[in-house]
Amino acid sequence: MRFAFTALLALATTVALVFLALPLTALFLRVGPRELVSSLGGSTARDAILVSLKTNVIAEALIVAIGTPASYLLARRRFRGRSVVLTLVELPLVLPPAVGGIALLAAFGRTGLVGGRLHALGISLPFTQAAVVVAVMFVASPFYVRPAVAAFEAVDASVLDAARTLGAGPARVFARVALPLAAGGLGAGAAVAFARGLGEFGATIMFAGSLQGVTQTLPLAIYAEFERDFHVAIALGALLVVVSFAILLSIKLVPAWTRYALTSSFRSATSS
Amino acid sequence: MTFGLAAAKLTVLAAASLTGVLPQIDKAPRYSFAGSDQLAFQIQQGAPADVYAAASPKYPDQLYAQGLVFKPRVFATNELVLIIPRANDAGIHSVYDLRQSGVRLVIGAQGVPVGDYTRKALAALGLSSVLKNVVSEETDVKGVVAKVALGEADAGFVYRTDALAARRDVAAIKLPQQAQPTIAYELAVVRSTKHLKAARAFVTRVLGNPGRLALARAGFGLP
Repeated sequence: MRFAFTALLALATTVALVFLALPLTALFLRVGPRELVSSLGGSTARDAILVSLKTNVIAEALIVAIGTPASYLLARRRFRGRSVVLTLVELPLVLPPAVGGIALLAAFGRTGLVGGRLHALGISLPFTQAAVVVAVMFVASPFYVRPAVAAFEAVDASVLDAARTLGAGPARVFARVALPLAAGGLGAGAAVAFARGLGEFGATIMFAGSLQGVTQTLPLAIYAEFERDFHVAIALGALLVVVSFAILLSIKLVPAWTRYALTSSFRSATSS
Repeated sequence: MTFGLAAAKLTVLAAASLTGVLPQIDKAPRYSFAGSDQLAFQIQQGAPADVYAAASPKYPDQLYAQGLVFKPRVFATNELVLIIPRANDAGIHSVYDLRQSGVRLVIGAQGVPVGDYTRKALAALGLSSVLKNVVSEETDVKGVVAKVALGEADAGFVYRTDALAARRDVAAIKLPQQAQPTIAYELAVVRSTKHLKAARAFVTRVLGNPGRLALARAGFGLP
């Protein structure tokens, strides 16, 4: 009986693994390694890699810079409407990215809520690299903020109180005590957010458009090349798989992050 | 996979620019609208389909040569037009105004029929330099329409029928006759169809009076 149960678990695991790994493996078998590398040498691939890197690094820096203090506040303070605020922060996780794209246009488009005013000042976001950064931030930031709130919540309040009793001001408590203690969770969250940002497609194509060397990120290039040169599309797809795998694996291998490896970093912030 | 009654349902893969008109001709089939090139790829990969209707002869002819579809037939023609948002803040009144710097032009990507027609027409006008004003290359014609209709782009090249369908938000500018590319829509029955009779009947309907009437009303030209 015990054996049967273990066998059942093993079977389910195998099915899950094959189901998830088979398509990704097939991607690599479809194109030989040499062709894969040569397909990445073209200008479309090179430009897409550069655009993706640049926009994602900027977006990630902004997400961490703004998201960290925001998560600290959300974790440490109890206030009315906190559940609603946390839900708002999580919303982009479940929305189709296309909805994000339309919403961004409604807000920052030339005739949008804020965009209209910006346009009058001569600033226009759509079709620029800044628009790609905004789209990536919109879609990826919950992947950082959620685990960041959880990480700050996990910091023992009595430790923070002790620091305060010893005369540290609130900024000092945050920077010298809370931040180092939550660093593992913050790092893991930042890595997942970066991986999600690299894969961003829907909001970007709607809000930023697709132009080689300007707004065409890796996922957009894959979509465009799918119609022109299938091999380049596969090669770029394979590249994205490898990079994403490396990022997610790093979370499990970096000692400080392991405690927050994917499963636990997705733990939602307590809403009470 | 099909079950029971659904098995009798025809699956028609059709170009995005046919979104409005085909269901008017026959609302029974299941339609899948996308870029003609994407649909051709799906058929090459063995997607279950009965009829393929494309916005250019290129892909149906390719599939015919590969033995994947029966002989394609021209069922409609279209024209390339320049569209501008109704507000027209950029002050565009002819294709030549696209040369102004700072104009935000949106076109179809290379390999997408509307994108290829656009490049051909611009080359015929000696206006290939306006490609530097392109801010986005969309993967199908509806993407171009949407960006202009929203007022995010100043101008875009689409088919006349798309301009007509979006006339609340966009105005159309005709191209000089000598630059107008020949745009023929072709449809073909997919060889692997399990509903040959129904597929043929659908083609006959599109080529016949019901089809011609609806196509003409939607702004298509007739062969």
